[in-house]
This record gives sequence, C-alpha cells and structure tokens, in this order.
Amino acid sequence: MTDHISEVMVWCLAAVAAVVLVLLLRQHRITTTVRKRNAALEGSLRARDAELQHLVAVRLPAVADASGGPAPLPGLLDDRLAGTDYARSLQSVMELFQQAVEKAQVKADMSAKAALKASMRALQGLAHEQQLSISEMQERHDNPDVLRDLLEIDHANSQFGRRAQAIAVLCGSWPGRQRAASPLIDVVRGATSRIRDYRRVQVHSQIDIAVISRAVEPVVLAVAELLDNAARHSQPNTKVEVSLQPVHNGACVVIDDAGVGMDGQEVQRAVAWLSGRRPVDVARLGDPPQFGFPVIGMLAARYGFSVSVDTRSPYGGVRAVLFLPSALLTHLEPDVSHAQQEPAAVPAAEPRPATPSAETRLSVAPLHAGALPRTAPERPGPATTRRGSTSPPPAGCPSAAAGSRPAGRPTTGPPPPPPPPHLPAALGPLRRGAPRPLGGGDRPAHGRLRPGHPVRSCGEP
Amino acid sequence: MRPYVVTDGRAHPSRNTFDLVTLVMAYGDRPLTGLSPEKRRLMELCMGGALSVAEVASHLRLPVSVTKVLLSDLVDSGHITTRSPIPSAQLPEAQLLQEVLDGLRARL
Repeated sequence: MTDHISEVMVWCLAAVAAVVLVLLLRQHRITTTVRKRNAALEGSLRARDAELQHLVAVRLPAVADASGGPAPLPGLLDDRLAGTDYARSLQSVMELFQQAVEKAQVKADMSAKAALKASMRALQGLAHEQQLSISEMQERHDNPDVLRDLLEIDHANSQFGRRAQAIAVLCGSWPGRQRAASPLIDVVRGATSRIRDYRRVQVHSQIDIAVISRAVEPVVLAVAELLDNAARHSQPNTKVEVSLQPVHNGACVVIDDAGVGMDGQEVQRAVAWLSGRRPVDVARLGDPPQFGFPVIGMLAARYGFSVSVDTRSPYGGVRAVLFLPSALLTHLEPDVSHAQQEPAAVPAAEPRPATPSAETRLSVAPLHAGALPRTAPERPGPATTRRGSTSPPPAGCPSAAAGSRPAGRPTTGPPPPPPPPHLPAALGPLRRGAPRPLGGGDRPAHGRLRPGHPVRSCGEP
Repeated sequence: MRPYVVTDGRAHPSRNTFDLVTLVMAYGDRPLTGLSPEKRRLMELCMGGALSVAEVASHLRLPVSVTKVLLSDLVDSGHITTRSPIPSAQLPEAQLLQEVLDGLRARL
C-alpha cells in the first residue's frame, strides 16, 4: 500500500517538475525576448535622442549660418533612422527653420537697404547742394589762395558724393541724374574727378565716341570705382594709365595700375561680383565693407556693359577692362547753324567744334560800346553785394541779378543764380547764355544739343 | 568736369598778367598735341581772333580764376599771346560840338 502511495507521489512530483520545467523554459524565452525588445527600444530611443541633439546642436545652426551658398547641409547622424517617419519629421523641421531663416534674412536685408538708401540719398542731396555753393564761390572769388582752398573742398565733396552714390546704388537706388550724351573722354575725366588720387590718372588716346545719355552716369560711377581701386592698390608714386580703344562692336576703357595685382582667390571673388548675378547682401560686404566690385557688377548688369579684371597689366598690377557695347555709344555731331540761332546753347566742350567765324563771334558776344570798363574792376570782397545788372536781359530770360528786379515785383520760385560779381554788367547775358552744369558738377561737358533736345532755361535752379 | 581736374589741382596761374578784359590770341601754327580737351577748346575759340579773358571763361563755362590758370599755361607753352584791351575811342566833347553847331548856324 505504502509502495503504491510513494509511487504515485513520485509520479506526481515528476509531473509537477516537468510542468514547472516547461513553464520555466517558456518564462525564460519570454523574458529573453522582452529583454531584447527592451534593449532595441532603448537603443532606438537613444538614437532618436542623439538625433534630436544633433539637429539642435549641428543641423539647425548650419542652416542659420548658411550664406545662401550651395554648401550641402549636414544630414542624419544615424543611418538606421533613414526613411522612418521620425527622420521625415526632422526634415520638415529643418525645412521650416530654413524658410524662417530665409524670410528673416530677406526682411533684414530689405530694411537695412531701405534705411541705407534713404540716408545715402539725403547725403547725396547735401553733397549736391554743397557742390552748387562751392561752384558759386569759385565763380565769385578771384583770389588764387581762396580758389586753392575751394578746389580742395570741391574735391573732398566730390568723393563724398560718390561714396554716398555708390552705397545708394548698391541698395537699389538709381545712379542719379540723367545727363546729356557725353564724349567718352569726358566721361572718364568726370570719373577721375571723383577719386582721391585724381592727379595720378593719365588718360591716353582721344577717340571720337560718345556715351548715350542714359548710360553716362552709370559708366562714370563704374569707371570711378575701378580707378579708385587701381589707385588705392598701387604705390602713390605710380601712375594709373587709362586708354580708350574703339573695338569692333563697341569701345573699351582699359585701366592699368602698377600695383600688387590680385591672387587667384581675389580674382574669382571679383569675377563673381562683376558678373552682377551674385545677390548683394549689405550685411556681408566685409569689414570695412567692400562696395566697389558689387556696385560695378550691379551697374554693368543693369545697363548692359561688362567689366573684367582677370588680366595682368603690363606694369605687373591689375588690368581692368570696361567694355561698352555699340548700343551704349553714339557720335556727337557738331551743328553750326544751331549755334548761330541760339547763342545761348553754345556748348562748352563739343568734341571738335568748327572754328567760329567772326560773325558767329559777334553774334555770340553782343557787347555794346563802352560795355567793357577800361580797367579791371577791383576785386570785390566776400562781403560786397553786387548791384543789379544794368543791361537788359535777353528776351525770355529773367533778369539774372536779384537786385535788378523791378521793385515791388514778387519773385516766384527760387531766384536764378546771379552772374559772378566781378563780371562787367554787359557780360551778364553771355554768362547766362552759357548756363553752368548743375547738379553733378563734375558733369562731363556735353556736346551740342540737337534740335528737340530740351534746352535748360536760363533761370533754372 | 570739376575745375580741379581741369587745372590738375593748381589754383595759382604761373603769371599774373590777366584781368577780365585782357585780350588773348592764339598762334595758329602751334601743334595741339598733348593739350587737355579744355586747352584745345580754348585754342579753337581763340583761333578766329582776339577774345577777352571774360569771354573765354564764359565759353568754357569755367570760373575766371580757373581760366587764368589755363591761359597762363598756354602763354608759357607759346600757344597764345596776350594784348591789353583796346581803349575805347575818345569822343569829342559836347561843348566843342555845340560850338561847331553854333558856328555853322551862324554861317548858314
């Protein structure tokens, strides 16, 4: 009996042990699977954390610092995440951030440009007013010592005006006043007058080609920037040589300096700017900001000329070549009959005027007997006021001297500029007949006006 | 064109012999090579006869003081010569004319 019981017990124990063993084995398998799954999940979580940290620490800053260039942005840290929803979400974050940065940059650039443009226009206006005052003083004072000082002030003011003009153009402004079509040589000399070292510039070759009115000011500004670059990057005792060359489909202004030249990287950067295709970000022009090449590139792209600086000058420096296509060039024709009809429009510097005949000369200078004083009048001091001109003004021209207005007649508009006080009264009409260029002042003298060309009235401010 | 470019920064004429009514005349046989555009223009102006300094300045649209610098350069280089102004003719006195008139009336 007891044997039976013990046998049953053994079987039972064996069965229980077997069941327990099976359960243990199953439990072990489940535990192992769960542990593995946990480990995998933990790994994945760590990878995602690391990826998120990588996004914050590396990828987003790279987007913020990218200067719009073609540089590739950093990608995922862990390739196992590639193609997952998580990676796609991260990419969306990147793109959103990129758009936000671009929008902010455009906005900042626009507001910086608008502010700069407005301030530069204001400065240009002041420089322009100052130039008018300086011109008037140069007319008024006959003392060489005073003139010398005035010339220096005039020169400084021209440079000041050019700098303001260049920055305004870079910020999207127009180059400035429309000028009459001018001989290329005058355009280049006008540019020369706006740089610091104008005495070092030598212009060779005189070709009978003129620049059309629309392009005069932009070409003056571009040539001025090139000349300034050439003069600033070469020794003060060297010359900057400029030659004008007619070519098959236009003309070239070639500027050679004897400076240090540019290395490959500088040339590449210059070529990129001069192409005019590189967007100008005023906040990224370096310190001090380099305006020259960006301004030239912008003007060249806008007006259709081209500039290259990638050749060496024979003096070891840089050779800059500004190419003007035929579309921007014209010929000024001397027009003699016009001068006889309208002595007021006798040009100051037509390219090759016909020698005036005695008749022309007389018609141009209608002096009546006794108009010229026998001796030179004493030089008036700065404080002396000029009495009104006694000669009748030419028809259609307001009296040039404010003092000669009939008493009680109201003056409308700004008073016309009086002729220089040291001129005899009879020369008033002559003076008025040749109105001095206003505005740019360094305006290249223009050729003869063609019929139909608006002639400035004598009293125009 | 600003005046300092025209005179190359100089304000003092090399000679002080000009006033507003000094007459200048050009020598037609001098070569114009190497002259600045303004000096060429000045020579062309003066080729046709004598012009006063004031007229030259007005045609060139330059201040008189600047024109004097150019003129003195051209005198130095032998391109132009100067002459003092022609004095205006002496008109007979009104009293003399009156006496002649009275005499004629008395005769006729």
